Amino acid sequence: MKKILLIFCLMLLSASSTGCWNLKEPNQRAFIIGVGIDMTEDKELEISSEIAVPAGLGSSQVTGAGKKNTFTVVSAKGKDFMDAGQHMQAELSRSLFYAHRQTILIGQHMAEEGVDRYLDMVVRNPKSEIRSVVLVVKGGTAKEVIKAEPTFDPFISTTLGSQQNALGMKPYYFRMLLCDAYSEGTQPIVPAITADPARGYVYTGSAILNKDHGLKLVGFLDPEESMYDNWMMGKQKKLTFTTQIGKENKMISLAVQSLKHRTHIKMVKNKPQIYISLHGTGSIVENNSPLDPSKDDDLKTIQTRLSQEAEEKVRKLVDKAQHQYKIDIFGIGEHVHRQHPEVWKTLKPHWHETFPELPITVSVHLRYRDPGQTNSSL
Amino acid sequence: MNATSQRSTSIDPNLRLSPHLVNNEHTLKTMFERCSDVIFRDVTLQGDTKLLLIYVDGMIDKDIIQSVILKPLMYEGIPQGIGPIDSIAQMCDQQLFAVLQTKKVNTFHDAADDILKGNLAILADGEASVLLTNVSQFEARSIEEPSTEASLRGTRESFTETLRTNTSMLRRIIVTPNLKMESFHIGKLTQTEVVLAYIEGIVSASMLDEIRSRVQQIDLQGVLESGYIEESIEDTNFSPFPQMLSSERPDVVSSGLMEGRVGILVSGSPIALIVPMTFWDGLQAPDDYYERFMYVTMNRWIRYLFALFAILFPSVYIALTTFHPEMVPPKLMLSITGLREQAPFPTVIEVFIMEFMFEGLREAGIRLPQQIGPLVSIVGALVIGQAAVQAGIISAPIVIVVSAAGISSFVIPRYRFGYPMRMLRFPLLVLSGIFGLFGTAIGMIAILSHLIHLSPLGTPYLQPVAPTRKSKVKNVFLRWPRQRADKS
Repeated sequence: MKKILLIFCLMLLSASSTGCWNLKEPNQRAFIIGVGIDMTEDKELEISSEIAVPAGLGSSQVTGAGKKNTFTVVSAKGKDFMDAGQHMQAELSRSLFYAHRQTILIGQHMAEEGVDRYLDMVVRNPKSEIRSVVLVVKGGTAKEVIKAEPTFDPFISTTLGSQQNALGMKPYYFRMLLCDAYSEGTQPIVPAITADPARGYVYTGSAILNKDHGLKLVGFLDPEESMYDNWMMGKQKKLTFTTQIGKENKMISLAVQSLKHRTHIKMVKNKPQIYISLHGTGSIVENNSPLDPSKDDDLKTIQTRLSQEAEEKVRKLVDKAQHQYKIDIFGIGEHVHRQHPEVWKTLKPHWHETFPELPITVSVHLRYRDPGQTNSSL
Repeated sequence: MNATSQRSTSIDPNLRLSPHLVNNEHTLKTMFERCSDVIFRDVTLQGDTKLLLIYVDGMIDKDIIQSVILKPLMYEGIPQGIGPIDSIAQMCDQQLFAVLQTKKVNTFHDAADDILKGNLAILADGEASVLLTNVSQFEARSIEEPSTEASLRGTRESFTETLRTNTSMLRRIIVTPNLKMESFHIGKLTQTEVVLAYIEGIVSASMLDEIRSRVQQIDLQGVLESGYIEESIEDTNFSPFPQMLSSERPDVVSSGLMEGRVGILVSGSPIALIVPMTFWDGLQAPDDYYERFMYVTMNRWIRYLFALFAILFPSVYIALTTFHPEMVPPKLMLSITGLREQAPFPTVIEVFIMEFMFEGLREAGIRLPQQIGPLVSIVGALVIGQAAVQAGIISAPIVIVVSAAGISSFVIPRYRFGYPMRMLRFPLLVLSGIFGLFGTAIGMIAILSHLIHLSPLGTPYLQPVAPTRKSKVKNVFLRWPRQRADKS
């Protein structure tokens, strides 16, 4: 018996020495489900937190009083993230809890100033979630987006990741931003949304951040460009192509399910040559043209036309990246690093200058698997 | 003086009978003083031979006494033609009665013993011994369906209180002279017959010797149920886990015997013990080996999961919601929080209240007269379930957690094996209420190390998983078809 008692005492002591003494009832915590990072006119950091009000959620039978809002937004300025948190706490009767943060929104102004100096907390704080979806607010502040009331969910923060899923992308989590920021050659492409008074919050492509300059905003890609970029980066799961076909400008749509991408680096006289090939197979989901996909000739026409059109767009995007933004948004540097590590050492220091001059060859192959239920259209 | 505690203390245990019937009668009547159910019947045969019959009313078959013993003696006299018999005393000596079991004893002590066990004692004048004929017959419950170990498939027989009925059931199943039934009489006052059943050649001799010596060393005033034997011979009393399998089914005991275990049957108890027991036995149902192996495998996994669930769910719930809310999916966490917005008690206290209520309901349900049974369920469901939640005293998730854990403990097929799960929940609740998941982990480690440490009669409790027996471990998690299991 003495032995058991001794063991029990030791266990108690060891438990108290680990500092595992943080019992807090759920209703003593303020669950932050989304956060917006903005920079004010006076170059001050402003953090807006969307805090869930659990009493307003679901359980209608418990609350006798009128239905409460499902969330509240608290904003505070501060020297850094946690300093602003302190100021927010002053308004709240429950202690802030960061581990359920679903979304990090970055205002355009903030992004232009470079956001990396305020993001350390997300990784360093053990109570902080790094699986938050990161978005840049195009042409607005994060504060106004985070206040929006979404159609389906009670919170906008939980919807943004699902919105990206519905668009066929892999949601862009903070840990992916981390990976990109610490990678050798990839520049982070962060999804962007816009607060539109008429349409709510709309996905408007992506924001290009420059990891070599404190994650400063370089520019935006429109949704279609982002789609091709995501395809090249392997972040797109499905997409739908629509193209004009024939003389009468009739449309045909292909829903592509399996997207494959391959970047091949060929070294010619110590200069890399880039070959990007994109593959996709899908089914024809709409066909307003007189072409009959069940006929071999027509099918070839359709496939070539679709591939050509896509190829054209990718080429334009490559051109834009090389000559307008002069920034590697395709992760080509990463591919060079992997395929030719010995060359990368010499290329890395002046990759910025090298990238715009690289010869990049793009080829797109779209194939159909399923012509749909009918042959030609009505 | 000690007459109430020690039977026949006034008589020297070795006191022998005298040839004079009058003396013997006097001594026995003194022994059975104020025992209204012990009947003394004087019989005089043909005017001169005096006989004295003694029996306990209600324990013997009166018809047999009348037709087999009294009638022939009184009307036909001493049977002739089988040699010269001079007196009834000589007849007693040669045991010439048409009864299967007869024996002769010479001391008052032995005579009284057997009379109390339902024998008819016949004393004759001039004979210094008692003839005891076994004509015992008493009311016994008939064989019924097992009430605590129901199974969908398999025998509908269960043991009764009559030991010989029980042993006969085993004999009917296992037909071999190797099935041994060693008998012991335990209990100073009850003299309860305890039978060790085993199959010679299969059972391990050293284990059998150990059990036998433990049974022989039992020193009890009385044995009313097999639980007395279990408590007296189990390895450690200080364990929440049962170390002997108890069963009221002859098929379960037979399968245990065929696996080389020892069955302990106790007279007066419909529950037999099977030793040694392992942890996995507690989670196996009788019809596991009767039903198709795939269903059984699925059911086994369900039981394992629910057993874990029964012991862990409330404490993990406490740990997760109050210590580590980051581990709960956000939407779930928010709805839990929403539901306990108005809860006046901390989560730990809530769980404790509900656990106590649940255990109270369970305990009340066992002993309630059947007519009041529905009342408890109504009060339990309405008052404790619904009203407490609606009044905002208990939050709804707690009711879900506690009742889910409670139900899972009833998934365990052996009712008494659910007790440790329910009982250990409480220390785990305290630990996780103080230390969070760390406490839960410490508690589980303590339970596991206890289980590993436990080895009733030298058989590790967690065998064949720990220590691992490769050939048998499969059978714990899968019930493989028999003929295939033998091959591999």
